[in-house]
Amino acid sequence: MGFREINSKMVEATVVPGQRLFSQRGAMLAYKGEVSFTPNTAGGQGGIMSMIGRRVANEDTPLMTVEGSGTVLFGHGGHHIQVINLSGDTLCVEADRLLAFEGTLQQGTMFLGSQGGVMGMVRGQISGQGLFTTTLKGHGAVAVMAHGGVFEIPITPQRPVHVDPQAYVAHHGDVRNKLSTALGWRDMVGRGSGEAFQLELSGSGAVYVQASEEKL
Amino acid sequence: MSHYPGAGPTVYDPMTLPSDDNVNAYTFCVELKGSQWFLQKGKMIAYYGSMEFNGVGHGGLDRLVRTSFHSPLHASDWVVAQGSGKMLLADRAFDVNSYDLEDGNLTIRSGNLLAFQPSLALKQSIVPGFLTLIGTGKFVAASNGPVVFMEPPIRVDPQALVGWADCPSPCHHYDHGYMTGVMGGLRALTGLGGASGEEHQFEFVGAGTVLLQSTETLMAEHATGAVPPDAGVPGSGAPHTGPSQVAGAPRLPGQLGDLQRRFGL
Repeated sequence: MGFREINSKMVEATVVPGQRLFSQRGAMLAYKGEVSFTPNTAGGQGGIMSMIGRRVANEDTPLMTVEGSGTVLFGHGGHHIQVINLSGDTLCVEADRLLAFEGTLQQGTMFLGSQGGVMGMVRGQISGQGLFTTTLKGHGAVAVMAHGGVFEIPITPQRPVHVDPQAYVAHHGDVRNKLSTALGWRDMVGRGSGEAFQLELSGSGAVYVQASEEKL
Repeated sequence: MSHYPGAGPTVYDPMTLPSDDNVNAYTFCVELKGSQWFLQKGKMIAYYGSMEFNGVGHGGLDRLVRTSFHSPLHASDWVVAQGSGKMLLADRAFDVNSYDLEDGNLTIRSGNLLAFQPSLALKQSIVPGFLTLIGTGKFVAASNGPVVFMEPPIRVDPQALVGWADCPSPCHHYDHGYMTGVMGGLRALTGLGGASGEEHQFEFVGAGTVLLQSTETLMAEHATGAVPPDAGVPGSGAPHTGPSQVAGAPRLPGQLGDLQRRFGL
């Protein structure tokens, strides 16, 4: 299982009976074998409550369940794809960046205000995450989309990482993030550097950054 | 020509430009030595040498069109380049590659084909929006992301399909499995739940190669071949204004006339 990167914009997934795969609707490019694609009304895992939760949180990206036996090629919108393998830790990512993920992962929604209260909400607004973000937890692989290439920056307790909120893609591990501002009088008169807000991530884990400041 | 990291961009001149090869992943260089190439309008970005570009309807090209252009539907999109020199082809930073056909056939999405040698014959495919090339020669095609080659049997999303070679034309495959069962019945009755977006594929069987591009975004057609709609540009459709009659003001006696403009007054 897992995803195999064919090139920077295409991944191949092997589907075996009994193991489900979730993917964004319409992201299948081609497949071999007998594979079925079922639209997922609930938008992911869990019961009706988690579905309502996702609807409220506006993290209900249209997903479909991929089942059967064969190989499937995924890609979407010409975006670059980064495969992230999770081994027990939690990945935070925006739902519309999810291209595909394995059914072994637990999907959830996180309220950004739970991390730092009001500042967490402000941070969500600035980084385009909104008030909520999607979490994936467990063992398995995730294919995440980004505009432009993606690189991974490890976060260690001694070395916090500062990321442009618009270039932030996802992070995993035991990471606390906070918004650091460098607002000065220059920003007030419209002569700022354009880098007044930064996302500061500290703890241990990794953050994925895209080489573009464009949203998906 | 030395090229090492940090030395800045490679500078090409007419001698160092490759002949019928890629300059980089996004640009292809065609060398013309009194020969002809068909190319899609607006895909030429630069050329060295003396060349002329004529529409397919040009009288002098009658014989050429008769032998190797059989697609009246696309006639207005194609021009013939002839002369001698080197010509650079590119298409909106999409990956560009050349392919050689040897007495073969290849069908390709019409928007993805940039140029081809007249030794190939261009025909309309039975599948709408696709063109078939038959014969021996070289052609240049663009794709959003690198092209992936797959072998049948395979089912392909119609939008991700770039083309296919040597295999029979595809058929439609409809996946109605999501309509069955209790949930499927509810979905069919209420219309809730939507479609997975993957109910319809092109199915390829038999021997051959299927070409895929790694995205489903169809390449948006930008009118790169159009003449800018500015005044004084021939063929732009804008009203023609005289050389010195800026803003349409009639020239008064005693004005310096064209001299005024020449000196930038």
